[in-house]
Amino acid sequence: MQLRRCTRGLCLIASLILCCAYILDDMATLLAGCTIILGISGQYLIFDRQFRETVASVKTERAPERTMVRKGTTLRVSTIITLIVPPRMHVEITERVAFGAAVQDGTTAVTAVSGPDPQAFRLSYRITPVIHGEMHFPGISMVVQNLFFSDGIDLAADAIPSPILLVQPTGLFDSSLKRSTLESREIEKMSALSGFGIRSLREYNAGDDSRNIDWKRSAKQDRLFVREYTGMITLPPLLIVDLPWCGAPVPDAEFSRLVTAVAGMAEYSVRTFHSVSILLVSGPNILEYIGEEKDIQRCMSALREWMHPVHRTVHLYHMHDRADLRHQIRLLENQILAEEDIPVRTFFATLHANYLAAVQHQKKPAFSGQLVRTLSPLPMDDIFLFSGGTGDVSHIRIIIRQARSLKFRVHVRVPDTGSISSQSAGWSRMGAETVEAFA
Amino acid sequence: MSGMRPEFGFFAAMVAGVLLITAMNPHPYGYLNLTLLFVPGIVLFLTRTRHDRAFYLVCAGEPLVVATGVVNLWAGLFAACMLAGITCGALGLLSLKKDYLLLVFFWGSAAIVTMILQLSNHVRLPLILFGVGIVLLIVIQMIRNYQFKKQYSGAHL
Repeated sequence: MQLRRCTRGLCLIASLILCCAYILDDMATLLAGCTIILGISGQYLIFDRQFRETVASVKTERAPERTMVRKGTTLRVSTIITLIVPPRMHVEITERVAFGAAVQDGTTAVTAVSGPDPQAFRLSYRITPVIHGEMHFPGISMVVQNLFFSDGIDLAADAIPSPILLVQPTGLFDSSLKRSTLESREIEKMSALSGFGIRSLREYNAGDDSRNIDWKRSAKQDRLFVREYTGMITLPPLLIVDLPWCGAPVPDAEFSRLVTAVAGMAEYSVRTFHSVSILLVSGPNILEYIGEEKDIQRCMSALREWMHPVHRTVHLYHMHDRADLRHQIRLLENQILAEEDIPVRTFFATLHANYLAAVQHQKKPAFSGQLVRTLSPLPMDDIFLFSGGTGDVSHIRIIIRQARSLKFRVHVRVPDTGSISSQSAGWSRMGAETVEAFA
Repeated sequence: MSGMRPEFGFFAAMVAGVLLITAMNPHPYGYLNLTLLFVPGIVLFLTRTRHDRAFYLVCAGEPLVVATGVVNLWAGLFAACMLAGITCGALGLLSLKKDYLLLVFFWGSAAIVTMILQLSNHVRLPLILFGVGIVLLIVIQMIRNYQFKKQYSGAHL
């Protein structure tokens, strides 16, 4: 229980008056102090009773969208809270989010004021479990206050029955298990650099490293066995170059910087990884793929041939991603439920219908399929995407999203136009791992 | 048409009562009661839109309680009761019939305290008794709160 500011002031005044009464030995002063203390005590007893009544009246119904999900999946949870708020009381209710779950969006807190009948409040939010196992919803927190006092309580799940969410580990569903470190990956072949995994066991030959002997297997077979570890391979990155459209010329200086940056990265890749792969695109058009080029001269001549503004046969113009549209639809559904103003709700409903129609009629661009077919067989972990970063960037969003779905890290390189920090957030939202400017 | 707000009724009763008490009990400092009567009225008017109005009203009214209590302890009780009515009315704590019963209960409790004070010769003993009572109340409430929160919060207390 906490005293509010007014009550703290009254307690201070009463203490001072009682001290004066003791010093002066004056009954009238003592009476003044006693009446203040008596009044505060009476108000406290009233508050305490109303607080207990409020807490006892709480009923909660919690319903997650599903009771079994895998780790990382987002699901909606709806909680309906019913309670009676006594006169002159004010209650703040907060949903306590389960440990190991991150709230994505929605409402997790509500404020209730006094009313004659039981009031019902609906909290709707989306969570993403980040830890597997059984997930218990901890309950709700309440802060009750009146003019003089405030008190809070955590209503535990034991007192409020709620369903248990079973979160499955991601590994059970993961199609490809790859152990990758920076710029390297384990392979089944043997190589000079050994990895962490064991690819096979074989009999010991003279000269083998005794540290590789598998003693458990050797004891079982009564012969010496050694472990053969997987090899490590360094994977070159893929460079994707988004060439500008000849119909919208870019400044020569800016384009020269793009060419220099691409050439520099290609040279670095050949020297470090002994090969480079380059995918040349312009808007949603794939122009050329240069695969695992080991000769720096041939690579540079190919770049000289292609690095110029090109004609685009297909254009995208501010094309919404289907995932973004679905996200907008979910947000609007929440806003329609929460909004009380009729004209605003009508506006949201119209917008919702338009978005739904857009999702239903929007076809998947051919560029996405071409991109997946090109990228999926490539052994790599990182993609460096070079672009002018101006005009419509719908195709860049498609590239980043498709690469992310294939578990590639995308690093965006754009010219330094002075607003790289503001642009960076936009690229990161699309899924880019890093965003850097080339000068 | 809404009637007169309760705090104004209590203030009018306090003015009438203090004037009557001062007239019936002539005292060298009687003029002080009349002077201090204005203070709660002024504060009641000035703090119409202020938060923590209870604090200002009690601060304004307590000097009058002490001043009338010096003349007569029961007169001090009367001023304290009226001040409680004014404060409760100003804070909107007298909107229900039950609220008036609680106010009357407060008056009764204050009357018992005054009776104890009237029977005592010095401040020390009633002050100790009052302090012990408050400490007991706090201890009992702490135990009750612990039990209550344990019931609803379980192991998360």
